[in-house]
Amino acid sequence: MNVLEINQLTKKFGDYTAVDHLSLSVQEGEIFGFLGPNGAGKSTTIQIAASLLSATKGEITIMGRNIAKHGRFAKGAIGFVPQDLAIYENMTAYENVHFFAGLYGLRGAELKRSVVEALEFVGLEDRQGGFPKNFSGGMKRRLNIACAIAHKPKLIIMDEPTVGIDPQSRSYILNSVKKLNRMGSTIIYTSHYMEEVEEICSRIAIIDHGKIIAEGTKAELKAIITNQKSISIAVRSTEGVPLDQLKSIVGVNAVEAAEQSINISSAVEINNLNRIIQLLVASGVEIRGVEAQEPSLETVFLTLTGRTLRDE
Amino acid sequence: MNLLRIAGKELKVLRDVKMLLFMLATPVLLMLILGTALSGNFQATVKVEPIRVIYSFDGVSGAEEEKWESLLLEGEASGITFEEAADGTEADMKKDVQNGLYTGYARVAGEGISYYGNSGRTMENGIVQGLLTPLTDRYKLTFIESGIPGADGNYVADTTVDTGSKPGSLDYFAVAVTTMIILYSALTAGQLIETERSGHTAIRLLASPVTKGEIFAGKIAGSFVLNAIFVVIIVLLSKYMFGANWGENLWLVFLVLFSELVLALSLGLAVGYCLRGNAAGSVLMMIIQVAAFVGGAYTPVEATSGLMYALSAYSPLHWSNDAILQIIYAGKLEAAPPAMLLNIGCSVLLLALAIVLMRRREGL
Repeated sequence: MNVLEINQLTKKFGDYTAVDHLSLSVQEGEIFGFLGPNGAGKSTTIQIAASLLSATKGEITIMGRNIAKHGRFAKGAIGFVPQDLAIYENMTAYENVHFFAGLYGLRGAELKRSVVEALEFVGLEDRQGGFPKNFSGGMKRRLNIACAIAHKPKLIIMDEPTVGIDPQSRSYILNSVKKLNRMGSTIIYTSHYMEEVEEICSRIAIIDHGKIIAEGTKAELKAIITNQKSISIAVRSTEGVPLDQLKSIVGVNAVEAAEQSINISSAVEINNLNRIIQLLVASGVEIRGVEAQEPSLETVFLTLTGRTLRDE
Repeated sequence: MNLLRIAGKELKVLRDVKMLLFMLATPVLLMLILGTALSGNFQATVKVEPIRVIYSFDGVSGAEEEKWESLLLEGEASGITFEEAADGTEADMKKDVQNGLYTGYARVAGEGISYYGNSGRTMENGIVQGLLTPLTDRYKLTFIESGIPGADGNYVADTTVDTGSKPGSLDYFAVAVTTMIILYSALTAGQLIETERSGHTAIRLLASPVTKGEIFAGKIAGSFVLNAIFVVIIVLLSKYMFGANWGENLWLVFLVLFSELVLALSLGLAVGYCLRGNAAGSVLMMIIQVAAFVGGAYTPVEATSGLMYALSAYSPLHWSNDAILQIIYAGKLEAAPPAMLLNIGCSVLLLALAIVLMRRREGL
């Protein structure tokens, strides 16, 4: 059964088309990864699915019901974890979760029990009387999640829930996502961190310029580029890197220069590494290391969009 | 139910003791400072200069002279000195009045009594006229005051004695500062939605099964209750700390105050929806300052003139103050409905504007 189904969704802001005839479906029990650079239409799509924005065209159903007609039902079935912290600083952790869970119709003992469970789930049961202003970034992120899951939604939409937190909290949150999934929630997960998506998502969609450009399991996506290899060259500085000349080398499909590395996606069957190195040396680029990698989601993304995700 | 939940959330601010003290101390201190510093505008006692009236008879009958004598006796009992003119013409006596030697000159003639007063001594002349007034029923009394164009024409001055009580300085500023503080609640109302936007909680509110209308109504209701609690505390503090007079009909006074509060919140919301961010706060501050200044927050409107007096008619602070003062000091309960209707009418218009803008907008 499809928990979420998006059909020919279009969203325009004036003349700008943020989402362009986008269609996708998320099945029950999945952790669905939604990848795309900033401005690709990823956030707009999930905000329309969460009834935060209206669609210009197209249709979205949540558990078989059109959200335009059954808005209250759809909202009740979703738990939305926004990218920005959406908690009240003047309310305790308990009060925050209690307030938001109450908006979903929970009352009395059931409400109290759900609040405590949500706080336990994110590891804040000992800090439930504390105010968020005294919390670390990671604790605030966990509270942000607790506010979205206390009403036990069937579908949880997480918009970059690990932005700006320490590795320990990130690990905690990723484990929580997997645990929520095991407990029966379907999850849509967006992130800039490709390794997170690789680690937890069972199916992934890549969006660019408002359109889905690839969709499938990790294996299916990597299969798209089995004829591609990824070359990562560590350099002292990317200043003076002849990007256009690199792209013109036979076999090279995409080149991306980061701060101290150059990522190149190239055809497997063509041996062009010597040519690439010679060009860089001739251009005065100081090479510190060269690494040929197996195709990863990063390579998939680079090949399909021509840019890396993390630097967006 | 969600409406009440959202309204209840707004009241959490009451836990902030520092903020609570600040919100209560500000109006109380303002009342005290303005009430003390501007007490001169509200003097209940007025110094009256000694009153000396010179008079002359001109063909008066015996009966009229008798009544005039009884008037003199009554006047002298009140501390007014009447001196009969020994010699000189009427012009000489008028000159003496103009020069300040006498408060006025009275000529008792067959056709009636004429009184000529020094225009620089209005209050003293008023007292003399007050004594002469009882005779106007029986005699044709003509008051002629110098300095009035066409003053040589005869007319009867209809003097009325104002018996109604007046507010003292602290009494006035207890009312004026309370209505001004209410107007300032527009500032917090202007931020009601903006704080949800800037804190990103608007996203979570809209993602939950709550309508925009419920969020809007819940926030207004919460803010109203919060500010109403402050208003009640401020009124009671001024009543029991400073002994400010809030009259016998406190419930009606509160109704007027609460209607002004609804207006202030509506104004804040409407401006908050028209202008995002800090611009709304700046515009609101300007509106509040002007409304407070011309509306009598610092000086009673009656003491102003010209443009400021004309503008006061458009200040909710003025019409609310005016209604409350009439309720307290003239017992005019009927002064409340017009002010309340004006407040609520303006609120309806402003809220309608805010609702239209809210519906057009995606998000809150």
